[in-house]
Amino acid sequence: MADVVLDRVEKRFGDVLAVAGIDLTIRDQEFLVLVGPSGCGKTTTLRMIAGLEEVTNGDIRIGGRSVTHLPPRGRDIAMVFQSYALYPHMTVARNMSFSLKLRGTPRAEIDRRVKEVAGILGLTEQLNRKPRQLSGGQRQRVAVGAALCRQAGVLLFDEPLSNLDAKLRVHMRTELKRLHLAIRSTMVYVTHDQVEAMTMGDRIVIMNGGVICQVGTPLEIYDKPASRFVAGFIGSPPMNFFEGEIAADEAGAAVLLGGGLQLPLPRPDLAERAGRKVWLGIRPEHISLTQAGRMTSEVSLHRVFRTAKVPSVIEVVEPLGHRVILTARSAAGPFQMETEIHAGVHGGERVELWFDMNRAYLFDRDTEAAI
Amino acid sequence: MGAKVPILPSAREPERRPKLLEREAPFGYLLVLPAVLYLAVFIAYPFLMSIYMSFTDAQAGNPKWEFIGTQNYSKVESYQVLANDFVLATLPDEAAAKRFAAARDSAKVTTEPAGSRFRAVLEAAGTRVPLLELGSEGDASYLGETVGKELSWKVEKRGGQYAVVAHAAEDAPVTFGPYNDKATLNRERRSDILVPAKTTVKTQGKGVMQDPNFRLAVKNTFKYTFGTEAIKLCLGIPCALILNRKFGGRRLLRGLLVIPWVIPIAISAQAWLWILDSTYSVINWCLVHWGILSPGNIINFRGDKNWAMLSVIAVNVWRGFPFTTIVILAGLTAIPDEILERARLDGANGLQRFAYVISPMVRPILMVSLLFSVIFSFTDFNTIWIITKGGPYDQTQVLSTYAYQLGVNAGYLARGAAISLFMFPIMAVMVFFMLQFLRREA
Repeated sequence: MADVVLDRVEKRFGDVLAVAGIDLTIRDQEFLVLVGPSGCGKTTTLRMIAGLEEVTNGDIRIGGRSVTHLPPRGRDIAMVFQSYALYPHMTVARNMSFSLKLRGTPRAEIDRRVKEVAGILGLTEQLNRKPRQLSGGQRQRVAVGAALCRQAGVLLFDEPLSNLDAKLRVHMRTELKRLHLAIRSTMVYVTHDQVEAMTMGDRIVIMNGGVICQVGTPLEIYDKPASRFVAGFIGSPPMNFFEGEIAADEAGAAVLLGGGLQLPLPRPDLAERAGRKVWLGIRPEHISLTQAGRMTSEVSLHRVFRTAKVPSVIEVVEPLGHRVILTARSAAGPFQMETEIHAGVHGGERVELWFDMNRAYLFDRDTEAAI
Repeated sequence: MGAKVPILPSAREPERRPKLLEREAPFGYLLVLPAVLYLAVFIAYPFLMSIYMSFTDAQAGNPKWEFIGTQNYSKVESYQVLANDFVLATLPDEAAAKRFAAARDSAKVTTEPAGSRFRAVLEAAGTRVPLLELGSEGDASYLGETVGKELSWKVEKRGGQYAVVAHAAEDAPVTFGPYNDKATLNRERRSDILVPAKTTVKTQGKGVMQDPNFRLAVKNTFKYTFGTEAIKLCLGIPCALILNRKFGGRRLLRGLLVIPWVIPIAISAQAWLWILDSTYSVINWCLVHWGILSPGNIINFRGDKNWAMLSVIAVNVWRGFPFTTIVILAGLTAIPDEILERARLDGANGLQRFAYVISPMVRPILMVSLLFSVIFSFTDFNTIWIITKGGPYDQTQVLSTYAYQLGVNAGYLARGAAISLFMFPIMAVMVFFMLQFLRREA
């Protein structure tokens, strides 16, 4: 069992509170992604798990054993660094076997493991090369291989894909995911890229300002963002936000946006909170050009009823292939939406857009929490 | 007026060269010119000149130089055979050997003709030992007397037997010769001495190779260079490791460190002259003050032959180790933190990190620093000239000072040039191997 438990872990650098007492349980064999903007404390958290940073307060347990005061080598962990951190003077094989050699593993066992890992990662041909003779992707795999050879209970990844070009990054994403399915050790993965987080994580931890904003599966995070920050961080293009106020109308509740725009809400219970200042959040993919829009497959009377008409002007059209990102402006402000390329929309066109209010989110403007 | 002017410019017409002022290359050459001139006048000319000079008989005050080939490098005029430790008799038991040795005072050396030569025979304790065979009766008799009468006899155990050895000290050997050519030398060397003895051949001549001071200078140069470099590394590596850590005042300390390197040696040497002074040395003062030395036997740092070399090495180390430290420090700072962190995660302790990660990564830059430093020490003139001038008794004479001594002070320009050129092949070989090593590492 190599579960990792962070118990009110806190890290201060002088007066700066980098990690503000977080609680987190990483389950055995889980692929957990720590994601957040730079400076959110995700890397510091990872480095504390690794033992590279002292913990100011709190306790870290790996496999039920407190490791807070253990040096890195006593923690049953391996780590892949952003810069790969390969020893430039060692061959690939020696890079991968270095930690085993230091632990006094028998030679035959070392050779066996190096061969096995090199086989998995497709590095058999490169075993006798030096790191500088390898391409970026190969170096990346050597770094992963060195971590795998250890057969540690927990593998830590510190933005391992950020130095690769876009195409290779997508490829390595799949590779790492496949690797996790194959070796089934606990993996903690730090990234600032929400796409990486969504595609790779069994669960995602979203951090901001040294605290955890939300922990959940990619679907939970996407469907039920706990705060405006999470909602805006996950999704591409990002969610649109409009300043507004809850109002009561004849059908139940509505949200009153700038420019006198009033959109109905599918939650009648909100009527009693009329007057509350809120953010209305709606993802670009939940705005469509027609009333039925993209929801035709799951159309229901109720849903159709709860779409809201917003007269807008299309400002910019950005085709990405099949998908097209439109930047539009309504009375309530500018926003982005997504449609498909055959919709035939042009810049400057006046259109009526339909907001799917069932998929709209409300966030309190003071606390930023979801309502 | 009748010249044809093309109405349309032809496409095939070659483009006109741009004007001089519009081209860049001439300015490049212009800017390089001073450097080329400098190299030509101050480096290439003296170098070639001294090569030429080393093949002539140039002397100060002598306007005509004659080409004399390689004689400045090596001209043997005569050979001598030096011999020690003549084994007079080998006996199976110690008592007999001692009896033989005791017979020294009553021993007699007689000379008898042997063919065209003369043989000196030793008679002691009733045994006749043929000692030497030489061309003249006088020589045979004289050297025979020397071996038989003037050397001390000792009994030594050799391979289970006891040998009676007529012992001549290393620096006071029995000499045979001189012989003018090598053939005579070889013949005489084979037949002169009839008992086992330790012999060496000493060559005498005008070439620097035959000059015992030159050989001493070569030995001293290597001692000085490698002694210095070894100590510089031993000091530089720990200093660099310390300065690479984060602590208060680190920047200040780094700044202070380079002071010895930037102070002109002529100035810092004055301080060292005082520190190493024979009478007023501050080191002696401290040692006496702490009761380690008595005022009667203070150390003469520059005058004592055992201390002089250490003293100049100390000064050179003091001057040169900041450079070594800074270079190693640069190498250390170039190691990414992540690699050291990974080494910690891999389970390497401090010593293992140093041995397996830090030192291999610093090694290339260390070699570069060593290369510079070796060249600097090997050709160093200032330090030695200011501190000891090569003394005492040439104990700190190195190639550069000896070349100056002989070439400039004594006026033997040609031999001075030959000595200084001796440094060139040695340096070339060292540089070659170091660069070879660097290339393999890279």
